[in-house]
Amino acid sequence: MSTLLEVKNLKKHFKTPNGMLHAVDGVSLKIETQKTLGVVGESGCGKSTLGRTIVHLLPKTSGEIYFEGEDITNIDKTALKALRPNMQMIFQDPYSSLNPRMSVFQTISEPLVINRVETDRSKLTKRVFELMDIVGLSADLANCFPHELDGGRRQRIGVARALALKPKFIVCDEPVSALDVSIQAQILNLMQDLQDELGLTYLFITHDLSVVKHISDDILVMYMGKMVEYTSSSQLFKNRLHPYTKALLAAVPIAEVGAKKERSLLKGEISSPVNPKPGCRFASRCAYVKDKCRTEEPVFEAVTEGHYVACHYVKEINQL
Amino acid sequence: MRDTLLEIKNLKVIYSTDGKVVEAVNHIDLKIHKGEALGLIGETGAGKTTTALSILNLIPNPPGKIVEGEICYCGQNLLKLSQRDMRAVRGNKISMIFQDPMTALNPVMTVGDQIAEVIRLHQKMPRDEAYIKAQEMLETVGIPGNRLKDFPHQFSGGMKQRVVIAISLACNPELLIADEPTTALDVTIQEQVLDLMEKLQKEFNTSLLMITHDLGVVAEVCETVAIMYAGEIVEYGTIEQVYNDTKHPYTRGLFDSIPKFHEDVKRLKPIKGQMPNPANLPVGCNFADRCPDVMPRCRESEPVVIDVGENHLVKCYKYIGGGDQA
Repeated sequence: MSTLLEVKNLKKHFKTPNGMLHAVDGVSLKIETQKTLGVVGESGCGKSTLGRTIVHLLPKTSGEIYFEGEDITNIDKTALKALRPNMQMIFQDPYSSLNPRMSVFQTISEPLVINRVETDRSKLTKRVFELMDIVGLSADLANCFPHELDGGRRQRIGVARALALKPKFIVCDEPVSALDVSIQAQILNLMQDLQDELGLTYLFITHDLSVVKHISDDILVMYMGKMVEYTSSSQLFKNRLHPYTKALLAAVPIAEVGAKKERSLLKGEISSPVNPKPGCRFASRCAYVKDKCRTEEPVFEAVTEGHYVACHYVKEINQL
Repeated sequence: MRDTLLEIKNLKVIYSTDGKVVEAVNHIDLKIHKGEALGLIGETGAGKTTTALSILNLIPNPPGKIVEGEICYCGQNLLKLSQRDMRAVRGNKISMIFQDPMTALNPVMTVGDQIAEVIRLHQKMPRDEAYIKAQEMLETVGIPGNRLKDFPHQFSGGMKQRVVIAISLACNPELLIADEPTTALDVTIQEQVLDLMEKLQKEFNTSLLMITHDLGVVAEVCETVAIMYAGEIVEYGTIEQVYNDTKHPYTRGLFDSIPKFHEDVKRLKPIKGQMPNPANLPVGCNFADRCPDVMPRCRESEPVVIDVGENHLVKCYKYIGGGDQA
């Protein structure tokens, strides 16, 4: 297994009238080829910003990004253009991520035309129909416009467009959140099949914990721009260590009768990531908070083999 | 058996646009008892919201129109009421929580004004008393009373939804319709809001119609559940009946489509295909084209609703004797 993408201490801060907004604050991660890393967190935790910064849709504040062992942190425009075919993105909302004035054919062929991959018209047509076939869009939809299609089909266009340049790595930003459950399952299965067939690597951003459990090999939990917990998917769901992860997983409503009656209500709400206070960012909502949490920032370190947690009292809380 | 609070009988709602007629809700029957929490589950376009809006007679007309059926509330057909009488019901006896708290509140009125407005309108309370009641309501939903003079933009999403809940409960309604009340919220906030709704529902003995696409939310809050598909109720029963003894293939498909939290499933089993176009519904069962157990007669005529045991209703030929299976 080789590492496809590595991110070291990535930071992305936004200037706002009220001060610095720490959207992503020191995230480090590694994704192996053909694996899926799930990033979960609530709205405003910086997960989308993380994905966008990695594919250079947003300039980073500091940190390093390596792709296939090469430093791509500060690459110039030409090099970035050459790199883009390898890193693609699937967006959340299939209603706003497609140009309403471009037909399905135009949308899928656009990356091929821009990057001059297929200059021959008949080859281009062939490739577009091939892509439509891969994602399960029937060929007679080629001349349809997005408004004629439902959410599931639109998201398939988004997937086809991302696949057009044969990328190695795709950032999927909430690709199924806007879809109904029965359609969501179709798209998740499609993405898994494509991963196996084409050897894709995914960074899968979502707020839906059941989805992330289903699709990921490793999971990174984020809270207000910080990494909270990072481990394999099975480990996280069996043995979560951070108080935030515990509360988050306990909050998911389960579709079984009497699956859960006790609520471990998390107090309050996510506070503002603008000029965050010192100490642990979860301190104001944490049930186990102590004085140290409010003054000193916890270190993100391995508690057991391959299981990273940022909490001062992780050992006490879990009786390790 | 508890008393029936609201009964929907044979309701049919259509939307007509450009000469096309869309049958959004197709002859549904539904009963809500006093103090009961009923979940109405369905995907986009199943007709859940249309059903809710019909109860309050809020279907935008045109293009919408209630063409058949009755909605009986305490023995009174709501559809026959004058606009004036209906206004006395809305927000007072039956109130509604809308999906998106960001757009449900008026951005240029303080939350105190918005809560007091309902109280003054329906209970003819003097201004200062209404504000005291508004403050109490705000505290009931867990927001400090001194925020009465704040505007909606000063609240977070979860708190805005609490304000909406405060408004809807201000007149102590007998029926609360919640249309996807937590869909726009994060899970930890969703849990807080669900917990609050459940507590208040018990406290005020309000009946609840919870409209959602989330099977988990219903499992937490409701006692009975109705599954809607393409404008029809395909399965109805207590949550034990529907969740543990699922009958309709569509309900089964829904359960198989969600990634399981407690067990490892390598591959999901989605329902194939898409929901039929409501402007062009098939002959026979609406689910036939996507159904794994489809039989020839499913495409010929529509199945009737049958009781498969203790008021567990299913609309499917699989359970009607004399078929290919029997």
